[in-house]
Amino acid sequence: MKATSDFPNINERKLDGLRENGEPYRVLVVDDSIFVTKQIGQILKSEGFEVIATASDGLEGVEKYKELSPNVDLVTMDITMPRMDGVTALEKIIEFDKDAKVVMISALGKQDLVKKSLLLGAKNYIVKPLDRKKVLERVVTVLKS
Amino acid sequence: MRVEYINPFVEAAYNVIQEVLQSDIVRKDLYLKKTSHPVLGVAAMVGLAGDVEGRVLIDMSQETALHIASTMNNEELTEMDELAKATIMEMANMITAQAVTKLFDLGFKFDLTPPSLITGSNMQVSNANEVEALIVPLETPQGLVEINVAVRERM
Repeated sequence: MKATSDFPNINERKLDGLRENGEPYRVLVVDDSIFVTKQIGQILKSEGFEVIATASDGLEGVEKYKELSPNVDLVTMDITMPRMDGVTALEKIIEFDKDAKVVMISALGKQDLVKKSLLLGAKNYIVKPLDRKKVLERVVTVLKS
Repeated sequence: MRVEYINPFVEAAYNVIQEVLQSDIVRKDLYLKKTSHPVLGVAAMVGLAGDVEGRVLIDMSQETALHIASTMNNEELTEMDELAKATIMEMANMITAQAVTKLFDLGFKFDLTPPSLITGSNMQVSNANEVEALIVPLETPQGLVEINVAVRERM
């Protein structure tokens, strides 16, 4: 009986959050909801990504991006936030680093803002409710492009 | 109040709750309250102002709120702490966003307030004169969630 082929070792699969050299991709999570921040963090960490920092509004997000640059590989950016919204924060980050990889996180019904974000340089977007598959698919697509 | 205002909220709540809890939910019969009525213990409230004005409550007992927040976080939450509150608010956000998209498509124009979360026991809600509240209970494995909509067309 070939037990090993019946139960393939899941550890053989390379985690999506790791580069070829085994180093994790570093993600900055910008969201005013601690629930969403935690949810994104859990999904990313389960695939080996490192959440290098979190920010609870756009202004803090821009500050953290500048502070940590060039050590941020990707930003997840909520759209509706206090102090500074996600679209403005995206604009400021792109102004500072035109190659920044920012993925917008949006509730339904914000199509106009999502479109605007994509024109301003966001690389992709995810509509809530978030699920593991959707988040990983979009994040990996952006990192590999 | 015309039922067409509440239907998008009920449909959105049905879709969102089913998706975030990954379980089947049952829609119970709609009922109407003209006077003050009790709220269950944890209520997320969103205000509407524009062609229609009023408020939407997503109302549940504290026990149900904790069960829902626990399911959404994949961990047992035993008190209404910041994470549990943020989780219920996020659920309310997703429901109203989906409902509003539908109402906009139907041609209604209005603004929304960010959700507020009200928690406590022995609470009542009263509505402005001649605004009745329409309530649709949704039975989930985590407990009862009531979608409570009181809006009127702006005069």
